[in-house]
Amino acid sequence: MRFLTINHIQNAKQSLKSNRMRSTLTMLGIAIGVASITAILALSGGAGKIVGDQVDDLGGNIAVIRPGSTTEAGVQDLTQFPSAQHFAASTLTENDLNTIQSIQNVKAVTPLMILSGAVKASTQTSVSTSIVASSAELATISGLEIQDGTFLDPDLNPYTAVIGPQLSVDIYGTEQSIGKTVTIRGQAFTVIGILKRDNTPINYNGVDFDNSVIIGREAGRALNGGSLQIQQINVQSESISELDQVIIDINKALLKNHLGESDFSVLSGEQIAQPTNRLFSIIAGTTTAIAAISLLVGGIGIMNIMLVSVAERTREIGIRKALGASNGDIVSQFLIESLSLSIGGGIGGYIVGYVLAFGISTFLPFDPLFNWEIAAVAAVVSLVIGTLFGLYPAIRAAQKDPIDALRQYD
Amino acid sequence: MPKTQTPPTPPVIVLKDLRKRFGLGDVEHYAIDGIDLTIQKGEFIAIMGPSGCGKTTLLNILGLLDSNIEGEYELEQRPVASLSSRRQARIRSQQIGFIFQSFNLITRLSVIENVALPLIYKGVSQTARLKQASTILHNFHLGEREYYMPYQLSGGQTQRVAIARALVNDPSIILADEPTGNLDSHASHIIMEELSDLHKRGNTIIMVTHNPHLTTYASRVITMLDGKIDTDTQAPAKKTPANSKKPLGKKRKARKKKEVKS
Repeated sequence: MRFLTINHIQNAKQSLKSNRMRSTLTMLGIAIGVASITAILALSGGAGKIVGDQVDDLGGNIAVIRPGSTTEAGVQDLTQFPSAQHFAASTLTENDLNTIQSIQNVKAVTPLMILSGAVKASTQTSVSTSIVASSAELATISGLEIQDGTFLDPDLNPYTAVIGPQLSVDIYGTEQSIGKTVTIRGQAFTVIGILKRDNTPINYNGVDFDNSVIIGREAGRALNGGSLQIQQINVQSESISELDQVIIDINKALLKNHLGESDFSVLSGEQIAQPTNRLFSIIAGTTTAIAAISLLVGGIGIMNIMLVSVAERTREIGIRKALGASNGDIVSQFLIESLSLSIGGGIGGYIVGYVLAFGISTFLPFDPLFNWEIAAVAAVVSLVIGTLFGLYPAIRAAQKDPIDALRQYD
Repeated sequence: MPKTQTPPTPPVIVLKDLRKRFGLGDVEHYAIDGIDLTIQKGEFIAIMGPSGCGKTTLLNILGLLDSNIEGEYELEQRPVASLSSRRQARIRSQQIGFIFQSFNLITRLSVIENVALPLIYKGVSQTARLKQASTILHNFHLGEREYYMPYQLSGGQTQRVAIARALVNDPSIILADEPTGNLDSHASHIIMEELSDLHKRGNTIIMVTHNPHLTTYASRVITMLDGKIDTDTQAPAKKTPANSKKPLGKKRKARKKKEVKS
């Protein structure tokens, strides 16, 4: 068996070097495609990971109960705006909340009721924002910190609110807004605390706390016409090791409450991040498809340049055949040449893609994701493009008749 | 004297009623029109004839570059028609050396890389390749030209590089298509000396030429006309290779001596 691969690689290097400009431009075509795919995957991966990281940061002993079953949805469900369920009547009830509270090893439980509406300071026009009705435990479970004042306290007047720093700046023009009055759906609330700036607009609560107002559960019930609409229940177990048992217990208890209907889902760890991840993967998928078009164009560029190269080197092909090259040798020679173009472009594109991703991420609240999958995607894409678009010119080269090829003068 | 003469060794090349057709229908014609030829090991054959009589076509067929033929061609007792294209490439690589009129070096490769080229397809490692190529270039007194590019050489030097390349694989058959066609008489002379030297070392050489003076180097002269063999200095029936070689070789040597004197 003859191992000609190294020869072909040396040969390809030599021949690409002698047409430096041409090779660079062709590689650029591939590099642009791979760079955009790498940047998109790195950024969307980083965005998807952000929620999972938050859960881990909070100790990993968090479970979340959401209305609706977990039966994994098909593609048509992916296309639905995921927060549509926020507007539907929730299947979670106050009864569930109390049930969970009484389960063993549950450290803290807090309901999350997200109301839509406008808030305004006494003199200003109203600002549209998220109104979260919850309980004092939210601060510990979601790791919210107070920069000024105090968090919700059940002993205080129900018409008190904690607001996010950005919202405070938006409606009062300052972060120092303790004691001021904020009007929510016509009801006046006294601001008793300002949250610390968190900069995590994407999180598992689905609320940007920097830009929202948090009120007590009872106040929320009053604003909602007397009924509690629980969109999510956050549960914290005593420790990570007990979380699994707690989840099983919650499932059992809620199933009983709901008369055997599993119209709720208990999520933990990575599952919590899934709805956000799914949204990002749709966005990433679409943009990747667009980037794939540029790869296709790059691939056509490779094919084009390889056809030119084959035509130019017809005589060389004839000589090589006369000297003992088989058709297979000629095919692999040109195939390796096109592969070096695409792999060269792929490596360049991978690096440029990450430079791009880091550049963009300075404007975003998360860092690009580094993992082997993205590197593998870049490598596979380059290999496939190089083979796919190099094969035809290579076969054409091999099929040249040596006598005709030798007759061509250069 | 080549030592292979004493026992009746099988011939290297046997052609039986070889035909090569070009064109179809009305324009159909035979470039090779029924050639019977037996070539023994160690012969130096010069093929002469006017342009278009099928010399080059015959050489291409002998070199397995053209396998679309009628009739029989046995190379070292193997019928060529039964060989796969991969096998044929293998034979070209290991048993046949080509020398062309237009040299056919690859212009973007250096002299030594050109010479090493056939070894690639034989599967020799790079270091061994360059070593072998270097040795053979030294034999051709081109040692100091190893890293020149082909365009930096004179015609004679280029053809010597091409011969070196044809010989690097140690082929048993050397096919030369007007090797001196693009050279002046002095360079031609040097090239022919090289070829006759190869012949003395036992190589089989088949050379196509236009120049009747060069036939003096050959042990056997075949003239072709319209795709057929017109004359053959050594018809297969009365072949006495041992006798025919000696005088020619001596004559050549004598001539050479004369030239040196004058």
